[in-house]
Amino acid sequence: MVDLKKAGKKYKCIEHLSDIGIEFYGKTLEELFENAAEGMFSIICDLGMVELLNRRNVKIVPEDTDPENLLVLWLEKLLYLYEIDNILFSGFKVGKIHKRNNRIILEAEVFGQKADPSKHNIRTIIKAPTYHMLKVEKDSRHGRWEGRVIFDV
Amino acid sequence: MRVPGIIFADKQLLDHAVGEKTIDQVVNVATLPGIIKASYAMPDIHYGYGFPIGGVAAFDTDSGIISPGGVGFDISCGVRAMRTCLYVDDIKNRLEDIMGILSFSIPKGLGTRGRIKLSADQLKQLLKGGVRWAVKNGYGWEEDEYFIEENGCMETANPDFVSKTAMDRGMSQVGTLGSGNHFLEIQAVDEIYDSKAADLLGLEKDQITIMIHSGSRGLGHQICSDYIRVMQQAALKYGIKLPDRQLACAPLASPEARRYYGAMACAVNYAMVNRHCLSHWTRKVFEKFFGRSSEKLGLGTIYDVSHNIAKMEQHNIDGKTREVCVHRKGATRSYPAGHRQIPEKYRAIGQPVIIPGDMGRYSFILLGTEKAMSESFGSTCHGAGRLMSRTKARKQIQGSELKKELFDKKGIVVMAGSMSGLAEEAPQAYKDISRVVDVTHFAGISKKAVRLRPLGVLKG
Repeated sequence: MVDLKKAGKKYKCIEHLSDIGIEFYGKTLEELFENAAEGMFSIICDLGMVELLNRRNVKIVPEDTDPENLLVLWLEKLLYLYEIDNILFSGFKVGKIHKRNNRIILEAEVFGQKADPSKHNIRTIIKAPTYHMLKVEKDSRHGRWEGRVIFDV
Repeated sequence: MRVPGIIFADKQLLDHAVGEKTIDQVVNVATLPGIIKASYAMPDIHYGYGFPIGGVAAFDTDSGIISPGGVGFDISCGVRAMRTCLYVDDIKNRLEDIMGILSFSIPKGLGTRGRIKLSADQLKQLLKGGVRWAVKNGYGWEEDEYFIEENGCMETANPDFVSKTAMDRGMSQVGTLGSGNHFLEIQAVDEIYDSKAADLLGLEKDQITIMIHSGSRGLGHQICSDYIRVMQQAALKYGIKLPDRQLACAPLASPEARRYYGAMACAVNYAMVNRHCLSHWTRKVFEKFFGRSSEKLGLGTIYDVSHNIAKMEQHNIDGKTREVCVHRKGATRSYPAGHRQIPEKYRAIGQPVIIPGDMGRYSFILLGTEKAMSESFGSTCHGAGRLMSRTKARKQIQGSELKKELFDKKGIVVMAGSMSGLAEEAPQAYKDISRVVDVTHFAGISKKAVRLRPLGVLKG
């Protein structure tokens, strides 16, 4: 993990017997969420092949202020858009995550391209992010954010 | 721990479970309120999230809980087996052709749209009516429902408890195979262990059968996700301490539990309709290919059973019959001969338990037993269980080489949407299904009836 951070890596896959997980990092909470989304889509397909042609606006307002719950909802929403609109996403711009009226709010613009079987090789399909071993926390020593999520595939 | 953990295994399978820390998950389940007798694990146990895969737990209706994590994301993922009156010789030289047509005709992969487009109202009718809805709308045979767990419909389904997001995801995916370990296989009867049972199942050596493994697709995944969040709040509200967030649950008597049970039943009905429609199109492909009606081809349903489900069931506990909520996560119902909830046709032999194996070895049809009722709340294993992580399988195995090897060495024709997805499902990534099935056979929680071998494999 330390090496990854030094190397400036955004995320890495971790082993889980039945499923697949990722760990991800960010200088800010917003960057952490962007990297988590990129890590998730990198499991689904080769992101180098996904152009930024379609845009969607995403707003998540959970019923609590738990950042871990917010992360699951964010990833779920992106999977939903992929499933319903058939768009693979590779660009993520998360605006300032803020609190209002005891709620945490995430607003983002996400960019990608309609999935095209002749161009995009879908490697793995993700059913859902899980709450198992879920983590969103600030590493006070390095002043960076770290996260982890296990997906059901 | 409120109760002990009981694991059905031989030494090798147990060592494996210990090595991958799955036992911790059996222990975590044993801490949940109202659990009765034990936290059970079947021999195909492997590390999941929250509950182990292969876990069975029954809960008291007054003091117990229901947990969406104890059912899993793919609610009512399950298996349907069908027979034909064809034999290996009728198909072996044309296998690549028919697999090619099936691959073209059966929608597969996540996000794939099916051929049935439903309005929200129609989807609600499907969720309430289950397989009966499908038959009424021209899919499948009327008699099919008698050979499906719950006769193809959980009556407790209530679409009012299903979110709009889940409904959106469900509207265009009826009759799609999905991905991961889901498959459609043409198989052949390889060995018969119980000839009386094989007669009643309508099977003999070298006869062609079909097996479909699929679930409730995006609708089921979303219902699970939605209710894990509801249950996390509920656990706080009712003061339930959770060793893992994925074990979020609510007391069975609570409104949260009632809503989840109603929504989960919708996903169960959806999954059963999904497999039903996949069988319908398989019948259509066979009809066209062999130029005979599916009735003349004998394409009847042997049985259809779920292996991710929670149900209110009657069980004998300390001499008294009580209603309990049985969670089966990667475990199959295994009701004995004579049980009133199994089709009359099979009442002399017990409920057929359909166990899919890996694409290179075998699958099995087992039979439910009386011992399963006393030892494991009428439950047995559900499949082989993973041995190798998906990441490791992808690194070690080339999908295209695997496909070639299966054909060259075993004559198995494999069609797959993704070669890396295929590598993840390689036979060597799974435990030996024969070993898993033998444990259940010798422990007496299900009995071997028929072994099937794959001829043609279609993966999502």
